[in-house]
Amino acid sequence: MTYKATEVTIVTEKVIQEQIVAIIEAEGATGYTVIEGSGKGRHGLRTHARPSVAGDAFDIVKIEVILANRAAAERIAEQVADRLFTYYSGIVYLEEVEILRRSRFGE
Amino acid sequence: MEAIADFAHTFLSQLQKPTLAFLLGGMFIAALGSRLVIPDAVYRFIVFMLLMRIGLEGGMEIRDGNIADMLLPAFWAILLGCGIVLLGRWTLARLPGIKMEDGIATAGLFGAVSASTLAAAMVVLDEESIVFEAWIPALYPFMDIPALVLAIVLAGVHQQRQSGQHKQVRVWPIVKDSLRGSALSALLLGLMLGLFTRPEPVFESFYDPLFKGLLSVLMLIMGIEAWARLSELKRVAHWFAVYALLAPLIHGLLAFGLGVVAHHATGLSPGGVILLAVMASSNSDISGPPTLRAGIPGANPSAYIGASTSIGTPMAIAVGIPLYVALGELVFGIA
Repeated sequence: MTYKATEVTIVTEKVIQEQIVAIIEAEGATGYTVIEGSGKGRHGLRTHARPSVAGDAFDIVKIEVILANRAAAERIAEQVADRLFTYYSGIVYLEEVEILRRSRFGE
Repeated sequence: MEAIADFAHTFLSQLQKPTLAFLLGGMFIAALGSRLVIPDAVYRFIVFMLLMRIGLEGGMEIRDGNIADMLLPAFWAILLGCGIVLLGRWTLARLPGIKMEDGIATAGLFGAVSASTLAAAMVVLDEESIVFEAWIPALYPFMDIPALVLAIVLAGVHQQRQSGQHKQVRVWPIVKDSLRGSALSALLLGLMLGLFTRPEPVFESFYDPLFKGLLSVLMLIMGIEAWARLSELKRVAHWFAVYALLAPLIHGLLAFGLGVVAHHATGLSPGGVILLAVMASSNSDISGPPTLRAGIPGANPSAYIGASTSIGTPMAIAVGIPLYVALGELVFGIA
């Protein structure tokens, strides 16, 4: 038996990971996943394959969080876009997903 | 005339020393499109090793030394860190086509200190048998932190004026963030271990002997990175390239002058004067960029990292260090 839920995905700079996590947790999510990676966007190529003299703050992270509550998911996406994406580069999108074990995904 | 010939000779012989040779070698193979990769973890470990070694030796010397001798150089370090940022704020940041935030962030990075440049200078001085106080490199936070803090505060003030909103820039979180960064953490831990414990056995058998070899690998990485970042610099205003070419030498010469004052006032060694100049000449590559990215989010990282890593750092190492060593020999008559 599956339930409908909303997944928010944020791909952005590692330097603002903590601020995003704070937003996610404030909306009542009980967990999230962070994947580090590399790629190319409007701000140029980002890679963690070669040593970066500037450290790993400029690496990309993909933060995924699934919430049973659609409104909470939208609030996360809006807050990230409004508060952080004025200056930092990143994208955010929402997807409908089907989940098992509904109790794992918040109220 | 002879002085100028000597100067040129010292200068040219530096280009063949391993430190510079590896830096230029890295740029060369990167330009050829080589796929040589040194793993990121190795890079981080080398940075840790170098800063731990600098900290340990500094701490051990402070333990047996006279704190009063350090006061004037430490004050010069703070003055230079702030002075360089203010200089950049009123020159680079006011040039046509330069966004104020980008200019201030770049000045902040050039006011901050590069541990790798400092380590390179230590090896060069060692090879030239020029002695220096081991606590001089440990003064690096005194220049680094004030420069980054001042740049972030200036950018905050500028943004307030633009938006008309009052938002206080809090200084302590920036200082705390700098101190917690990997570079300064290693340095400060080394200092404390050197001050309060007896790390001589590991220092002499491990940290000190590995220093030169690891530095050559680091220089290779810096060279590769410098070339890779040039493409980023091409996309921002050309003034950044001009600033990155000239600023390291101007900052270094200013510091050299202040160092000479300290030499006469409190007996700072010629090697110490040269290191102070190198410190001012260098621009932060490890701790500075992430701190600025977080502190001045409106500034374009391509501008300040491109200016610093691709031009500023090679200038400070390849031109600055030989210049100050040659100048030291000229002024102090050391050979």
